[in-house]
Amino acid sequence: MDFVLDDMRLELAKVARDFFTDKSPLTAVRRLEDDPAGYDPGVWRTMATLGWTGLGHTEESGGSGGGVLDLAVLYQEIGRSLCASPHLESAVVAGGVLAAAGGQDGLLRAVLGGETTVVPALMEPGGEYGPAGIRLTGELTGGGIRLTGTKVLVPYLDTAGWLLVAARTGDGVTLALVDPGATGLEVTRSANIAGAPLFTVTFHHVAASGLVGAPSMGWDVLGPVLDRAAVLRSAQIVGAAERLLELSVAYARSREQFGKSIGAYQAVQYLCTDIAIAAELASLATLRAAALLDLGEPAAPAVAEAKARASATARLAAERAHEVHAGFAFMMEADVQLFTRRLRHWELDLGDEDHHRERLADALLG
Amino acid sequence: MDPRFTEQQQEWRAEVRAFLDDELPPKWERSTEFCEDEEYWKFAVEFTRRVSARGWIGLTWPTEYGGLGRPMIDRLILAEEFAYREAPLANTIGWGLAAGALLVGGTPEQKRRFLPPIARSDVFWAEGFTEPGAGSDLAALTTRAERRGNDWVVNGQKTYTTWGSHADVMFLAARTDPDAPRHRGISIFCLDLKAPGVTLTPLYNLGGGRQNHTFLDDVVVPADALIGELHRGWNLIMNAFYGGTVQAAYMEQQRVLDKLIAFCRSTRRRGRPLIEDPLTRDRLVEMSLIIEGQRLLTYQSLGTMLAGRPQPYAGALGVVVQKEGMPRFAELTNLISGPLGQLGEGAPFAPMDGGPEAWYRQAFRNHAGGTSQVKRMVLATRGLGLPR
Repeated sequence: MDFVLDDMRLELAKVARDFFTDKSPLTAVRRLEDDPAGYDPGVWRTMATLGWTGLGHTEESGGSGGGVLDLAVLYQEIGRSLCASPHLESAVVAGGVLAAAGGQDGLLRAVLGGETTVVPALMEPGGEYGPAGIRLTGELTGGGIRLTGTKVLVPYLDTAGWLLVAARTGDGVTLALVDPGATGLEVTRSANIAGAPLFTVTFHHVAASGLVGAPSMGWDVLGPVLDRAAVLRSAQIVGAAERLLELSVAYARSREQFGKSIGAYQAVQYLCTDIAIAAELASLATLRAAALLDLGEPAAPAVAEAKARASATARLAAERAHEVHAGFAFMMEADVQLFTRRLRHWELDLGDEDHHRERLADALLG
Repeated sequence: MDPRFTEQQQEWRAEVRAFLDDELPPKWERSTEFCEDEEYWKFAVEFTRRVSARGWIGLTWPTEYGGLGRPMIDRLILAEEFAYREAPLANTIGWGLAAGALLVGGTPEQKRRFLPPIARSDVFWAEGFTEPGAGSDLAALTTRAERRGNDWVVNGQKTYTTWGSHADVMFLAARTDPDAPRHRGISIFCLDLKAPGVTLTPLYNLGGGRQNHTFLDDVVVPADALIGELHRGWNLIMNAFYGGTVQAAYMEQQRVLDKLIAFCRSTRRRGRPLIEDPLTRDRLVEMSLIIEGQRLLTYQSLGTMLAGRPQPYAGALGVVVQKEGMPRFAELTNLISGPLGQLGEGAPFAPMDGGPEAWYRQAFRNHAGGTSQVKRMVLATRGLGLPR
């Protein structure tokens, strides 16, 4: 039983901290809010050069080795900096699916090298996370598939090389690769709180370019990959929450009212310590889940605990930070809102708190 | 980072469980804090001496002081299993507080003198910190020890003395230099509770246990009863507060949760088993999260200490989580157990034989060792760097 990060991972955290501090200051984060792609391709290429787009994948498949725990360390730093990129969507989810399903070695290599991006299209207008929420119809046609239905919250479509679509085929879910330029696709950008490049995509009898994995067995491939992604989203939330804590403490120390620093008032101290407690617990749960996934141990309850805690932390950290900063943080020029809006997106992504608490209940109580 | 216990550690856990199966009848599975039954206490002392006979009281201490020199993780495993069974291990102040202070700040001579009798469970200790005017603000203590020849003469009053009537000696904090600033000039002594001038009067607590006022009138303490350095007791209090051991109170809660889950499986409400009720299920999840949070923080704290790294947030976060979790956890047991949850032990139809009734009352012990508000202040100032 060893519950601390080893020196190598602490070193990765330090390198990543320096990298994102340099490449993704909050001024850059603001600038990208008006950018259609939603991320900086130059930063993305450098991340690929560092091997980070292939992290968590074997070197034989084109990755750079390492596991979920390494990724979790990296994601805490991504979260801290609010650095936007299609890493989770393409490198982790699509890359994970392609690696597990097999048969797409060239594409997998390109994804892990950051040369192309594949973005998952999972969520539908019903708003239900999980296999039961997949209703977009897949019509299997002698080795191919035609898709009819609608996907929402599809990320980073402007720059995507491929869409990875989950479709309903009878009792199962089938995964298919779709060319974003395919005939019958209707794409609209959706306004959203994070200002993220999220799209609604309607499929009118669209012919997919190919299947990924066996027909109707898609969730067997997708499920474990989404667990891994949920843990990393949790790590990202933890990083952002810790940054909000630092911003709140710094503001509470410097802001004076009634002749003293507001950080000396216990009411304000409670707000700050609330963030510290929630973020620390979410951090530990996230690292435990990541380690168990790497070890191949049963991890479902640990994953659910991590995302349940992280999703709750996302809300709490934002709310407490706004309380500490008060009117100042309500102004767009203050940085707190940059975190508040993204945390809301991450909180709801890959299963919200309720979803993961229900999973915990099922694991605990049957 | 590996959250698993090794095979060797799992074997040790099995050994501890087997010991408890052999030595602890279910009827005595209850905390020494909240039972004053004479027969129970006779058993608790015997049981504690049987733990001593295995060498497990001083499990991690150096062998020269009556210990076995085993790794701290083994102590954690022992603590988890003992807590899960509510084993009546007496002398918490002895093996926890006093031994912790001695190991951290005792001279070799003090260690040789005081530790082996604790390891053997020959001498039982009570805590002598809190005073009527010095609780959270412990440095306000006014009990004084004055030098007279080779001895010290102690005058003052201690309060909330847990286990006072079951103890032989007191781990006493007294002011030895009245002219020094208040954090200096405090010393720690081992005070004989049978000495002339000691009077204990009972204070019965909400949990069902006895604490005490302890009046100290001209009590003579020999010079060699000093623990640590003269006038430096405050450092010992700050650095060695239960530092020699590791606690796993979350396993008491795990035991409660397991009982409650069994209760929910066997109870029907609103036409279905309670275990299928979504609100109840989520409350059980919340209880599980309270337990897991403490477990994670305990493992992290231990691992950080063993790695020789500084504790995150100055080590002040875990204790806040533990203290704030206790009343909420107890509240949830009562919300789930329903209208009969107010019935006490032995009452007909009391769910879980009155467990929820007792758990609710006993959860208000969470202030022991400092209130959660004080711990939040420490977290805010020392942990986060906010101003005082």
